[in-house]
Amino acid sequence: MSDAARSPIELAIFQSTVHSIAEEMGAALRRTSISPNIKERRDYSCALFDGYERVIAMGDHMPVHLGAMPMSVKAVVDAMELEEGDIAILNDPYAGGTHLPDITLVLPIFFGGSKRPAFYAASRAHHADVGGMHAGSMGPAQEIYQEGIRIPPVRLMTKGVMNRDILSLLLANVRTPAEREGDLAAQIGACRVGERRIKEVVAKYGLAKVNELVEELLAYSERLMRAELRKMPAGVFEAEDFLDGDGVTDEPIRIAVSIRFDPAAGAAEIDFTGSSLQVKGNVNAVYPITYSACFYMLRCLLSDDAPATAGLMNSVKVTAPLGTIVNATLPAPVAGGNVEASQRITDALLRALAKAAPQRVPAASYGTMSNLTVGGVDPRTGAPFTYYETTAGGMGARPGIDGIDGIHCHMTNSLNTPIEALEYAYPFRMRFYGYRRGSGGVGEFRGGDGLVREFELLAPAQVNLLCDRRRFSPYGLAGGGDGATGRAQWITADGEATELPGKCTLQVSKNDVIRMETPGGGGWGAATEKK
Amino acid sequence: MRVAIDTGGTFTDCVYMQDGQFVVLKVFSTPQDPGLAVLNGLRQIAAGPQVVVRHGTTVGTNAMLERKGGRVAFVTTKGFEDTIAIGRQARSKLYDWFQPAPECLVKAELRFGVTERTNAEGEIVRGVNAAELEELVRAIGEADVDAVAISLLFSFANSKNESEVARALEKLGLPLSVSHKILPEFREYERGSTVVANAYLAPKMGAYLTNLVKGVEEAYDEARLEVMQSSGGIIPARLAAAEPVRTVLSGPAGGVIGAYKLATLAGFDRIIGFDMGGTSTDVCLVDASAGGLRISNESMVSGIPIGVPMLDIHTAGAGGGSIARFDAGGMLRVGPESAGSMPGPICFGRGEQPTVTDANLALGRLDTERFLGGSVKLDRERMMQWMAKAKGSITTVEEFAAGILQVIETSMAKAIRVISVERGHDPRDFTLVAFGGGGPVHACSLARALSVPRVLVPALPGALSAVGILLADTMREYSRTVMLPVEASLENVFREMEQVGVEEFRAEGLTGLAFRSVDLRYRGQGYELNVPFGPGMAAEFHDLHQRRYGFASETRALEVVNVRVRMVSAAEKFAPVMQALVEGDGSQALIGTRPVYFDDRFHETRVYNRELLRPGDTFAGPAIVSEYSSATVLPLGDVLRVDGLENLVIEVHA
Repeated sequence: MSDAARSPIELAIFQSTVHSIAEEMGAALRRTSISPNIKERRDYSCALFDGYERVIAMGDHMPVHLGAMPMSVKAVVDAMELEEGDIAILNDPYAGGTHLPDITLVLPIFFGGSKRPAFYAASRAHHADVGGMHAGSMGPAQEIYQEGIRIPPVRLMTKGVMNRDILSLLLANVRTPAEREGDLAAQIGACRVGERRIKEVVAKYGLAKVNELVEELLAYSERLMRAELRKMPAGVFEAEDFLDGDGVTDEPIRIAVSIRFDPAAGAAEIDFTGSSLQVKGNVNAVYPITYSACFYMLRCLLSDDAPATAGLMNSVKVTAPLGTIVNATLPAPVAGGNVEASQRITDALLRALAKAAPQRVPAASYGTMSNLTVGGVDPRTGAPFTYYETTAGGMGARPGIDGIDGIHCHMTNSLNTPIEALEYAYPFRMRFYGYRRGSGGVGEFRGGDGLVREFELLAPAQVNLLCDRRRFSPYGLAGGGDGATGRAQWITADGEATELPGKCTLQVSKNDVIRMETPGGGGWGAATEKK
Repeated sequence: MRVAIDTGGTFTDCVYMQDGQFVVLKVFSTPQDPGLAVLNGLRQIAAGPQVVVRHGTTVGTNAMLERKGGRVAFVTTKGFEDTIAIGRQARSKLYDWFQPAPECLVKAELRFGVTERTNAEGEIVRGVNAAELEELVRAIGEADVDAVAISLLFSFANSKNESEVARALEKLGLPLSVSHKILPEFREYERGSTVVANAYLAPKMGAYLTNLVKGVEEAYDEARLEVMQSSGGIIPARLAAAEPVRTVLSGPAGGVIGAYKLATLAGFDRIIGFDMGGTSTDVCLVDASAGGLRISNESMVSGIPIGVPMLDIHTAGAGGGSIARFDAGGMLRVGPESAGSMPGPICFGRGEQPTVTDANLALGRLDTERFLGGSVKLDRERMMQWMAKAKGSITTVEEFAAGILQVIETSMAKAIRVISVERGHDPRDFTLVAFGGGGPVHACSLARALSVPRVLVPALPGALSAVGILLADTMREYSRTVMLPVEASLENVFREMEQVGVEEFRAEGLTGLAFRSVDLRYRGQGYELNVPFGPGMAAEFHDLHQRRYGFASETRALEVVNVRVRMVSAAEKFAPVMQALVEGDGSQALIGTRPVYFDDRFHETRVYNRELLRPGDTFAGPAIVSEYSSATVLPLGDVLRVDGLENLVIEVHA
C-alpha cells in the first residue's frame, strides 16, 4: 500500500484503538470502585498520554477533566522521576489538581529499558471525602487548608509495592478510609488496564511506529479544529456572567471573557482579563478548570466522535490573569471552582460564542451543580458515612429545539444515585424526586425544567450546600426568557421551613427534611414567534 | 413433531428434523400479520396433531424500534412519578448541544403516584389507602390506556403494597405489568423501565400470541406454541404473552443458540458469534467451560434499559451499508451512518456514497451476478466511478476499498474485544462462528486481527436462527434482590422461588431442573458478578473478579445482591447423522476464477459453489465460497475443510 493510502487508514485504526483503551480503563474503574459517587454516578475520567504528557485518548467521561488531566501528568513529571512499577498520586490544585476531592493517579509506561516513560495512563476520580473541616470536603472554607488533605505529586506505589507510609497518612486524614482505599485500588486497576493494552499495541506495531501514529493523531486533531475555526467570523466577541457570591460576602463575582477568532489562521484566542479577583470563599477556579471550559466549548463545535487529544488545542491560546477567579493562587479555597465556577465560565464563553455564531449555541443551562454533602453516623451500623451528590437542572433551549428537562449539562455528566441504592447505603428517606415544572425560560423554544429533590435525614447530620444561580438567572438568548433561579429549604420535623442560602453548612436533626429546587434553562427566541 | 418458525424481514424460516437431518422451508413473511406465515409454513410441511411450534418473533422488536407499542399508565410511589422520565439524569452525548431529549415510553399525564412507602429493610413505613386506590382506579380508567405498569419503591424487598395496588387495578381488565413479579431487583429506574417496556409491548404481543395460539390449536389437535426469549431459552406462549419484555430480542437470540449448538456438534464449544448484517454487527461470546450462555441483566434496547435476562449480545454500528467518508481532519471514517436499503450501496444503483459492500465489490469479493441468488445485480462500473470520486488523496480505488475494510474491521474487532478481552477471555481460545450476510466475508481477516485460530461458517446459514430455536432448552429465570452478607442463609428464598418455578412449569405440563446462582460483590461495590450458588461460590467470585478486573481480595467482605433461579427443561438430545468424509479438493464445486484483492494486490482466485461442496473437501486460499445469502472469503494461506455436518471449518494461519 502506498504512503498516501496508509496514513488516513492507519490513523483511523490507531485512533479507534487508543480511544477504546481509555474507555476500557473507565469501565474497569466503574465496575470495581466502592463509593456510589464513582460507581453509580461515574464521576471519574481516564486518559492516555504520550511521553511528552500530551493526551492522546480520553474516555467520554467528565468534560471538566478534559484540559485538567494533562496538567496533572505534567505536574508529576516536573516533580519526580518515575520508574517502572511506580504510580504517582496527587490532588493538590496548586500542583496539577483541580479541587481536593479529585484524586489523580498517574502510571508511567516504559519500553526497551528506556528510563523515560513512553506513555502515561492516568485515572482521576472524585472521592466522597478527603478530610477537612466539612464532611464530604465540599463545604464553605476560606483557605485550602480547611478543605482537606493536600497531596502534592508523590509515589503511591514504588517499584510495584504499595507505599504504606503515604497511604496510611492519607487514610488517617479522611472520614471514610476503607471506602477511599477501595476506590484507590480500583483506580490502580484502571491504570493497569491502560498499561496492559498500550503494551499490546506497541508489541503489534513497534514503538517507533506507534510514536509516528501519535504524532499523526495529534496533527490530525489540530487540522480538525483549525478547519472548524476557519468557519467562524473574524473578530472579537465579548461577554460576561456572574456567580452570586462566594458564600462569605454577597459581592457578585464577574467572569469576563473575550474570544478572538482568526479564521484565516484557523486559530482562536480566549482571554479572561477583566474577571474578578480571587475570593475568600471556595468558588475559585484554578487555571486547569478554565482551560477545560475552553476545551469543552471548542470540542462541542466538532462532531461528537472527534478525538479529545492535545492536538485540538494547538491553535488556541487561553489567557487567564493570575490571582483572579479564573486562575486562583494559594491559599484560595477551590472546592467549588470545579463544580460552580467551571459552569459559569462555560456560560460566559457560550454567551460570547453566541455573538459569533448565534444559530449554533444554546441559551444558558441551569449553571450550578447544586452540590450537596451530608455526613454523620449511620444508626443502622454505627459507622460514619459521607454522601456527595450533584443534582441536574434544565438545559438551555437550542435554536430550533426546546431544552431538555432535568439533565446534566456542560462540565459534568454524572448519573444520579438510584433512590434504592441510596437508602441502602445511607440513613436517608427520599420524599420527592421530580421535575420543577415551569422553571424553564419561556421563548420560541422553551428552556428545560429544573428538578426538585427532597429527602428526610434518619439521623442527625451535617449538611453542606454549595449552589449558585440564586441571583443571576440562566440567561435566555435571542429574546428568550431566563430560567428560574434555584432554591433550597430546611424543613424541621415539626414542619417549620427555613429558606437556605446557596452556600451554607448546617447541623440538622433526625427527621428533618432538605428540599432542593434546581434552576431551569434559558429560553431561545421571543415567545410570541412560536408557531 | 417439533418445528421452529422464525419470522424474518422477507422470509419466514421453518426448520424441523427428519431422519437426523434438518429440513428447511422458506415461506414469504406476512408483515401485516406475521402469524399467517407461521400457519402457512405449518400447512406446507403438513404438520399433524401434537405438533410443538417454536416461534422466533419480531413483533416485540419492531414495536420497540418503531415506537408502536401501547399507551401505558405508570404507577409508582407518590412523589416519584417523574423518575421514569428523568432516568439517570445524564445526557447520552457529551459534546452535542443539539441532541434530542431522551424518549420516555410514558406520557407525562399518564404517570400516577400512590401514597405509600416501603424501606430498604422491607418494612412497610406507610400502607396504601383504600380510598386513594379507588380514586387511582377511576383516574386510570378514564385515561384511555392500553396497559398499566406498576413499580413502587422497594417492592422487591416487600411486595405487600404493590400487590394491593395491583389487586385494585385488576378490575380495569387491562394488562398489568407488576414490578415484583417481572423484575424484583433494586434500582428503581431500570426496574421501572423494564416494567414499562413490558406494559408497552403487552397489548400488541398479547393479542398476537393469543391469536396465534388459537390458530395453531384450531388447526392441530393438542398442538402447543412456544416462544424464543431474548435469554436464549424457550417459554410457553401463554407466559410469553404476559411478559413480552422477555422476548424482545427473540430472533437474534435464536441466531446465537444456533451458532453455539452447531459449533458444539462440530467439536468447538467456545465460540464468538459474529453476525454482520446491512446496518450493524452483533457479537456474542459463549464459553462452555465458563458456564455456557452468558446472560446480561443490564441491556439496552432502542434506548430503553431492560433488566430481564438477555443474551449478552453487543452491537456495533458496522454493516454492509456503513458509509465511508473523510472527515475535516482527513481521517477515513466508516459508519456508524448507514446507507440502509434506501439509497443503499452505490452498486445497488441508487446510492452515491461508498459503503462496505461497495468496497467488497471493488476488491472482487462479491459476485456481480449471484448476489442474493441473483435477485440484486451489482453495478460494478457505477461503483468504480463513485469510488474514484470519493477516494480523496488515496491513489487507487483498490487501496481506498482495502482501507474501508480495515477500518470497519477495526470497529468489529473493538466490539469483539468488549465481549472477550474486557471480560477476561482470550480470543485465542475461541472459534469465530460467522453468519449473516457479511459475517463470512469478513470472518477470516477479523479472526487474524484478533488472533482467533479458527472460523466456522455453519451449515444452513440462512436459517441459523430457526435452527437455534429448534435446539434450545426451555428456560425460565427468576430473581430477587436480597442484599445480605454472603454468610446469610438463602435456603428459604431459593425454596420459595423454586416453588413458583415448579408450579409455573407444571401448569404448562413441563418438568424442569432448578439451577441456583447468586450475584455477588465486595460489600459497597456497585456492580455484581453472577456465580453458581454453593460452598465454592466465594472462591469462584474472587477468581472471576481477578480475571475480569485484574484484582481480587479474599479478605474483603462479600455480599449477595440478587439470588437467581433458572428453571430448565432440556431439549431432547439432538444427534445429527454425520456424513462420511470423502477426501476431495472441491473441484466439483468450482465455478470459475476471478481476480480478488488480498495483501495489496489482485490474485486470480477460485470461486466455489457451496451447495456442490462435499464433506471432506479441503482446499487453501485464496478462494471464495459463494452461496445464496453470503460469500465466504478465504485469504491466502487459510485452509478450509467441509466437515460431516457441512459446516465450513477454516484454520486461520497466524
